[in-house]
Amino acid sequence: MGDTSRYPEHRRKLSPRWWTANRHYAMYMVREWTSLFVAVYSLIFIYGLSLWATGSRANFLNFLKNPAIVGFSLVALVFIMYHAVTWFYLLGAISPIKIGRSKTKPWQALVLNLILLVVVSYLAIWLLVLR
Amino acid sequence: MSQDIATIRVTRYRPEKDSKPYFQEYKVPYRQDMVVLDALNYIKAEIDGSLTYRWSCRMGVCGSCGANIDGEPKLTCASFLHDFKGRTITVEPMANFPVIKDLVVDMEDFMEKLVKIKPWIIREKETPPEQGEYKQSAQELERYSQFSSCINCMLCYAACPIYGLNEKFLGPAATALAYRYIEDSRDEGKDVRFPIVHEMEGVWECTLVGECSVVCPKGVDPMLAIQKTKILGATNAIKSLLMPRGGR
Repeated sequence: MGDTSRYPEHRRKLSPRWWTANRHYAMYMVREWTSLFVAVYSLIFIYGLSLWATGSRANFLNFLKNPAIVGFSLVALVFIMYHAVTWFYLLGAISPIKIGRSKTKPWQALVLNLILLVVVSYLAIWLLVLR
Repeated sequence: MSQDIATIRVTRYRPEKDSKPYFQEYKVPYRQDMVVLDALNYIKAEIDGSLTYRWSCRMGVCGSCGANIDGEPKLTCASFLHDFKGRTITVEPMANFPVIKDLVVDMEDFMEKLVKIKPWIIREKETPPEQGEYKQSAQELERYSQFSSCINCMLCYAACPIYGLNEKFLGPAATALAYRYIEDSRDEGKDVRFPIVHEMEGVWECTLVGECSVVCPKGVDPMLAIQKTKILGATNAIKSLLMPRGGR
């Protein structure tokens, strides 16, 4: 591309507020930030399981019944659902399943995975709490 | 036909005179069928001949006239003035690229990436033309056809904050094109392209912002190509781990 070195090019830096420019960027940033809640919830859950492993199931359940943990879990649930919906949709877009000549649509993967999520969650609750 | 007046705020940067870019405002009379590129051409012809920008086909095919219009990466030839009626239209050079002059950005980095992914059919052994063409079914064509519609307009790079933060990132269009050849049944260059798309600044740098696919004027979905390339890479890695001699 010719001699562009004679004059300086103007280089721009990404503004720290770049993600406020449109809705998609903002939704992406919300997903990034809320990952923290998902990670913290995982740590809480692993700690709870360790209580069960080293003590009894009652220790584990009492720990989860702590109002602070319940409050945090409810907030985390909202964010986890946001992650679940966006990722399940993406999964359907990336890996559609071929049925005969047609391919599955992303929303079908979303619905199927949400149903699976409910079933697996219920099984986990049954195994850990109800049984 | 009635003529309205559009107010256009254009970035000016003359490196021989200006230490940094600034905005200059122009009033352009326009008809219903005029696009932002027509307004730029009007400014250049009638008001200020020094305004510099790229354009060629003015029909969304050549991919030369990209700019950030009101902050969004768009082709100026595909953005109608009447869609901005009643407000000032801001036209800036495409984001994330160094600016050479006014609306002209330095494309060198993208050009290098384009060549790097080897955007041509690689054969282990070329067959002579007398033996005929490499045949392909409609289903095989469908696997990559949308990714071959890229016009290299670079709007996806202007929309990608990852590229804005790290210009070493291979980026949306180059990966989409690499995937187009990886998925082409006639191509045998997978082993050549895989190390390129899977290097440190390749597909794994993408954190799924997704705006590349939103701004693409040709309906290409580079985000999808990047994620599919990730899946191919991961499956290949597992295969070669389990079956070191025949994994691929």
